Amino acid sequence: MSKLNKLRLSEREWVRPVLGVFIIFVLCVIVSPANSKGSLIFLKFENLTNILRQVSENGIISVGMTFVIIAGGIDLSVGSILALSATITAFGLMDWQLGFFLTLLIALAISSAAGFLNGAITSWGKIQSFIVTLAMMTAARGFALFISNNNSRDIGFGPGAAPDIFKIFTTSYFGIPFPVFIFITVSIVFLIILKMTQLGRYVYAIGSNEEAAILAGLKVKRIRTYTFIIAGFFSGLAGIIHTGQLLQGNPNDGVGFELDAIAAVVIGGTSLNGGKGTLEGTFAGVLIIGLLSNILGLHGIQKDFQLMLKGAIIVGAVFIQGTGLQINFLHFFRRQVK
Amino acid sequence: MLRLSTIKKAFSGVEVLHDISFSMERGCVTALVGENGAGKSTLMKILCGVYTDYNGEIFIDDEKIFFKNPWEAKHAGISIIHQELSCIPDLTVAENIFLGNEPLRKFGLVNFSRLRGDARTILKEFDFPYSPNTIVRNLSVGWQQIVEIAHALSSDAGIFILDEPTSALAESEIKILFKKIRLLKEKGKIIIFISHRLEEIYEIADEIAVMRDGRFIGKYSATEITRSELIGKMVGSKFYETKLAKSVACNEMALQVEDLNVFDNSTTYLSGITFTLMNGEILGLAGLLGSGKSELLKFLFGELKAQHTGKIMLGENIYVPKSASRSLTKKIFYLPKDRKTEGIFAGLDIIKNSSISVLSNYASGGYIHKTREAKAVANKSLELNLKFKSLYQNIQTLSGGNQQKVLIGRGLLNNPKLLLLDEPTRGIDIGAKEGIYNLINGLSSKGMSFIISSSDIPELLRICDRILVLFNGVPAALLNAQETDTNKILHYAFNEGQL
Repeated sequence: MSKLNKLRLSEREWVRPVLGVFIIFVLCVIVSPANSKGSLIFLKFENLTNILRQVSENGIISVGMTFVIIAGGIDLSVGSILALSATITAFGLMDWQLGFFLTLLIALAISSAAGFLNGAITSWGKIQSFIVTLAMMTAARGFALFISNNNSRDIGFGPGAAPDIFKIFTTSYFGIPFPVFIFITVSIVFLIILKMTQLGRYVYAIGSNEEAAILAGLKVKRIRTYTFIIAGFFSGLAGIIHTGQLLQGNPNDGVGFELDAIAAVVIGGTSLNGGKGTLEGTFAGVLIIGLLSNILGLHGIQKDFQLMLKGAIIVGAVFIQGTGLQINFLHFFRRQVK
Repeated sequence: MLRLSTIKKAFSGVEVLHDISFSMERGCVTALVGENGAGKSTLMKILCGVYTDYNGEIFIDDEKIFFKNPWEAKHAGISIIHQELSCIPDLTVAENIFLGNEPLRKFGLVNFSRLRGDARTILKEFDFPYSPNTIVRNLSVGWQQIVEIAHALSSDAGIFILDEPTSALAESEIKILFKKIRLLKEKGKIIIFISHRLEEIYEIADEIAVMRDGRFIGKYSATEITRSELIGKMVGSKFYETKLAKSVACNEMALQVEDLNVFDNSTTYLSGITFTLMNGEILGLAGLLGSGKSELLKFLFGELKAQHTGKIMLGENIYVPKSASRSLTKKIFYLPKDRKTEGIFAGLDIIKNSSISVLSNYASGGYIHKTREAKAVANKSLELNLKFKSLYQNIQTLSGGNQQKVLIGRGLLNNPKLLLLDEPTRGIDIGAKEGIYNLINGLSSKGMSFIISSSDIPELLRICDRILVLFNGVPAALLNAQETDTNKILHYAFNEGQL
């Protein structure tokens, strides 16, 4: 049936950000410094996996952030929830001797509960999510400081300290660090959830038009709460990985992580107005940020300059998405998808 | 005199206006008619400076004009009322009326007391019942439209463009609006009036300009062209306005409402509502703005959060409206009044817009079977005669009439028994209206029951079996559509006692 024609490739939302990653990647290759043997440092396998490892925390948080933003909300508390989870993980393993699984379970449960609170207060208390999560950002940080008595906790291994299994977060398999596997798995599973399930569809619907969603019979408050629970859960997961990689749980970590996540989501083409966006785009946004930090780092460019450039990239990426500047450029790629 | 000369306009290479040339005299109301997509709104946007990349020339009193932006057009004396509401919802009524034209004190401060005073004077002419300090957001759609009209008409412009100003208005407000228009006419202004309602056009217009598919078809004197001739010009082929064959009501009760009162702490929405609705019957709701017709529909759907007393029977069971999701499981469908803010999911495609209420039917364990979903939507869309290129196209790229069909399709996918339609033909063109009337008629003969609220009384007379007239939330009359007429309905709607 001709009426079932799918969209042209160039009309698909995710094409632009994915193309963006490709372009940035090529640029990185071109400007990559070479080592003494003349091979490009950027393209080295260790460097590429290192990029993925570095972005895995932000990537996991951004998955949750994408759900929240597509549903028309915002979550500013992810950085603080990460710190809370990181702190609980470190103290659970070291001070409270809860063991690996119970510690992780508690960290994830408390993070999800914080997300639930965000969602429930936003939905049933009818307060804007910006305010609610701003409050949670402060409160979760406070709770982390309370638990840790304002101290960070270093992870040691052995009897009376953390179990060896916790080393998994610094281990590589097939040359790829374990956190990268988590990041990729999470991205794929939630990509499927967002694209193929009722929950995913409802998330788009309530973000596009809440009033219409209510009248179409959707349980808007419940669905919105789910998105915040997802964001809280992933902040917690990122917190565990954070502790696992640094071998330290610090209640003062994760400051500004919410902005990195929002930047990735927005660079990926998701609209802050809700109802529009993709996880493929977010994945691309995370990679773009990671690639740029990496290539700048390889050239020894200082953090100050990196931050300024990052600011420009965020605005630039969103500008390009908003104007259709690259429509002509995409002309080459136009074809009917059967 | 306003003269357009060989106006052409293209959107990304596709010409949508072809060589439009005609002129409008001062002191004359020119109605501009044509189906949706005929190019009326595009032409008006060129006139008021929204689109600047057109070919052709515009003359006002033989002086060639070109506006770089809407601001220039406004200051050159062109005042427009847009089809879509464009009030600023968080400003007061008075602030909206004088938006961009505020009376000032020294140092550029706004003179608020004069602002309010002037607004009060203007609003008095519209019988506006609220204070000029009311925040516009809190007004009903109809009153917001009045504020917008007051805003446009209060300016000292020479050319007034009214793009479907009446779509949200009740008969009484339309009368006031027309009085104002006649006043402007006497002052020698140029007035362009766009409407889909022929009754209004014949009442107010001196000349009627017809557009079709981006072309200017002709300009006719309103006294000379008959309605069926005019419709013929608009749709291009012969078109007859006939009364639809009525569906046969069967004896089974679909809905029974007995002495229904709906209220909350501060407001009484409805009182003493009693009616029955048979399977396959179409009940019309008529009444002025604020008569409670929209509220009745919303209440029955469970989304007017208020208390109630009285008895409602749905089929053979007692029915207590609670929420939209529950009403949908009881096979009740509600089509909201405002398509844009309550109906469509902008940015999502036709499939996603259609299937949203019934996704569970095409999913197992939350996973959506997309082929099954697409097939169901495709079948329903073809059945509804929806005009579309691809089911994956954004719903916003459809015309108003087709968007409405998608929304009706959304309801039909749930196999509803009772359909509550609030202004189902608001702001859609005549051809598409016909399509919707036929659709409603066809569905009712399959046994579906309808309650349709409309401010277009001839429309109700045309499609309904019976018409319930409301006044201030109280039933004024329950009339058989075949034995009544527009005048009688208006008589009851204005609460002028028994005939």
